[in-house]
Amino acid sequence: MARVTIDSVRKVYDDTVAVENVSLTVPDGEILGLLGPSGCGKTTTLRTVAGFETPTEGTVAFDDEDVTHVPPEDRNIGLVFQTYALFDNMTVGENVAFGLKMRGVDPAKRRARAEELLELLGIGGLSDRDPQTLSGGQQQRVGLARALAIEPRVLLLDEPMTGLDAKLKRRLRNELGELLDELGVTALYVTHDQAEAMSMCDRIAVMNDGHVEQVGTPREVYERPANAFVADFVGTANVLDGVVSDGTLDLGFERVPAAGAPEGPATVVARPEAFRADSDGEIPVAVTERTYQGDHVRATVTLPDETAVTLRLDPATLTDDENVRLTLDPTALHVTDVDVEADSDGAVIPN
Amino acid sequence: MTALSRRFGRPAVTLVLLVTVTFLIAPVALTIVGSFAREWTGVFPAGFVTFRNWAEVLGLADSIGSQRSMGWDPLVVLPVGDGLTLMAPAELLFSVGLALGGVLINLVVGVPIAYAVSRYEFRGKEWVNAVSVLPLVPGVILGVAFLRAYPVLSGTSFGLIVGYSLLKAPFMVMAVQSEFESMPLRQLEESARSLGASWPRTFLTVVVPNARSGIVSGAIICWTLAAAEFNFSYVVWAKGTQPLALFLQRHISNSTFTKAAAAVSMFFCIVVAITLLLQAFGTRGFDTRGT
Amino acid sequence: MSTSGRIADVLPAVRGAVEDLGSVAVPTTERDRERRRIAALCAPFAVLLVVAGVYPLLEVVRISVSVERFETVGFTLSAYRTLVTDPYYRRVAFNTLWFAALTTLVSVALAVPIAHALEKYDLPGEGLFVTLVSFPISLPGIVAAFMMLVLFGNNGVLTNVVATFAGANPTDVAVAVSVPGLFLAFVYSMVPRATLILRGTYAEVEEAAEEAAQALGATPLQTFRYVTFPQIRPGITGALILTFRTGLAIFGTLIVIQTLLVWTLQLDRELSAGAFPVAGAMATVYFVFVFGFTALGLRYTSAEVGL
Repeated sequence: MARVTIDSVRKVYDDTVAVENVSLTVPDGEILGLLGPSGCGKTTTLRTVAGFETPTEGTVAFDDEDVTHVPPEDRNIGLVFQTYALFDNMTVGENVAFGLKMRGVDPAKRRARAEELLELLGIGGLSDRDPQTLSGGQQQRVGLARALAIEPRVLLLDEPMTGLDAKLKRRLRNELGELLDELGVTALYVTHDQAEAMSMCDRIAVMNDGHVEQVGTPREVYERPANAFVADFVGTANVLDGVVSDGTLDLGFERVPAAGAPEGPATVVARPEAFRADSDGEIPVAVTERTYQGDHVRATVTLPDETAVTLRLDPATLTDDENVRLTLDPTALHVTDVDVEADSDGAVIPN
Repeated sequence: MTALSRRFGRPAVTLVLLVTVTFLIAPVALTIVGSFAREWTGVFPAGFVTFRNWAEVLGLADSIGSQRSMGWDPLVVLPVGDGLTLMAPAELLFSVGLALGGVLINLVVGVPIAYAVSRYEFRGKEWVNAVSVLPLVPGVILGVAFLRAYPVLSGTSFGLIVGYSLLKAPFMVMAVQSEFESMPLRQLEESARSLGASWPRTFLTVVVPNARSGIVSGAIICWTLAAAEFNFSYVVWAKGTQPLALFLQRHISNSTFTKAAAAVSMFFCIVVAITLLLQAFGTRGFDTRGT
Repeated sequence: MSTSGRIADVLPAVRGAVEDLGSVAVPTTERDRERRRIAALCAPFAVLLVVAGVYPLLEVVRISVSVERFETVGFTLSAYRTLVTDPYYRRVAFNTLWFAALTTLVSVALAVPIAHALEKYDLPGEGLFVTLVSFPISLPGIVAAFMMLVLFGNNGVLTNVVATFAGANPTDVAVAVSVPGLFLAFVYSMVPRATLILRGTYAEVEEAAEEAAQALGATPLQTFRYVTFPQIRPGITGALILTFRTGLAIFGTLIVIQTLLVWTLQLDRELSAGAFPVAGAMATVYFVFVFGFTALGLRYTSAEVGL
């Protein structure tokens, strides 16, 4: 496995800029998620690493080797697609052994290796089947086995779970995560599903409109989003306006200590869990909408200053009464700035 | 209005279907029946059952009159006893060979261009597509053009093969394209290349074998249409063994009605055999548009 | 499958292709390598098109303006002048156009209900019907003509039935070798092709919209009129264009049933008479006309064109 370095990559198609100034480093053995809405440039970034797109500017390197102009077939990469893209003219075993055949490995060896990988992925014994006869989950495992068989320097996964149903997705997610960690694979994982990115990836690069907005561990991205876009795209965020003066953040309806935050107007991200229903709470709110979700009730409430925020309520304590009192956990607030540069961290309220 | 539409709409539409199918198929059935008759002068053919018409058409029996019967050529000599020579009817074999030659060229030119159009984006793609799937030149015009451009070659087998291949190429391109369009081409190509296969190798060992059924059905369609091509053959053919379509025309114009019926029936048999072959490959017959 | 092209696209496309040549020769980016692949994939077809299509057709254009009959010498438009001024050729052109147009209208008018029945109704033996309707596509025009002889010729079955009932001589009621007989022979060749195109169109019709219309109380006719028809209209336009082309190209049928002098038949007669410049001019006019109306048809209608 290798370290992947993407340096200042820019890709322009005709007149549209697909990615702009993308720089990412994936250390050996790390799984980096590329997360963002469709059209944000995450797939273009992946294809640049694969070699199917040559960047207009910038370079791609595996370890210290510049591969920017190396054709994909000479890069030694593993590729897994949402559509599996298995070769229907070959058996499952031949699919997995295809890359080894291209490398001139002798038939007995490649067959043994294919069996070994299928076994590892929990689908041993399917070697002689036709790919079309397998279920979606099995096909995806074959696709993965095929990509891993060549011991790629980097594994590239393009929305590999999008076609699967929710339950299978959850199971495969856990298995795949463990397997990739075990094998120490360097991987780029493209997805638009934040839950998938959070559970699978060591770090996440949130992309928007061709830029990288933030790179960080799932926890960093969630708890300390660099800007309003990241806050909104990853999880649910209540974006509030406030003013910091003399080490205190004034939100209008509540004042909380905020030592260290820059003075002046501030944009504050409050996750739903920053609010808690409490009969002794100091913030009176009116519940305007509630959606029962099983283990919690997702509610929209109106703060005294007419701002609407989303939070979770406990179904057990919730009454039909529209008036609820809340307390705010100041340590769960995060002061950011909508205009913040993509790669700089927002200021954080010290715990 | 409402009641009328509900009551008569469907039966009327079904009736159109039935009448048209009858119009299309009844003469086919009558021809086959008539080919076994001794004479056909009244309402229906009469004097069953004789195989004389078939035998004469196939050149197995001497025929009376000016028409030549079909010649027979040795096909292969089997190593049985003193050497058993398998004979084959010349026109049939000649047409089979010509059409096969056309199909071979169609494969070489049609499969790649179908892939280019289905897989890639490029400037002028719409025009490339239009030129490759629309039969732009009708057989008669192409025949005239061949006579002018290649006065010596046009009447030869080679000329016929090249002409057939251009005339029937659109059918190959369409059949293969509709197959390609049902495949995740980009992902297949990129998967194979990521695994280390060069692009030509990817095309030959992954893309083409995966599109096998479309290619086979395209080949069969092109073969049938080339074997049946009359207009071009009529204009350019000069001498020697006649292509099948000209052989049919000779019988239709000159032979007795029952014998012409036998010749046409023989052609039906070929078409049916090809259609069955087509279905055996599990494809969709002449429905090359894809569904 | 749908194809639409624009004449205006050709020039930029050609210019683009020339610009692309440089990067195709020495590729450094994946896009350059891809361009080289596209060129390689299109090359065999291009070679066939030039050798078997473009060059021979240019030779036809050259002989059409030649002053000599058998050699391409000098330049004269006399063959074209003949075509334009001679009332004989004008009549041939007129025959060709009205005959092809009328047979096209009838064939497509029949093909719409046939495609409708095959695609929308749950008929018993539907697969058989599809096979039977498609079968004549693989028959050459001469066989279509023979089929008409079987039904309507002097020995024809229908001829003899009618003659027996009317007490007339079969040769008096036979219609195969007449303009109506030729008309039927054309329809015989054209209906299956039109049906094939329309079945493809029907396959793409959104059934949910039809069911929604029926749920809202529309009769089958109203559903067809307001929901199905708008969806198949591009297919019908495409079928009209392509069936008309088929009609114009018919030749074998006319060799057997020589009752109407149309363009292809006259072209063959000019060839037999050795009048190469006139034959060349006729071929050129034909090609330009067909190419022109196909291009215009694709440009100015939303026609879907397959075969």
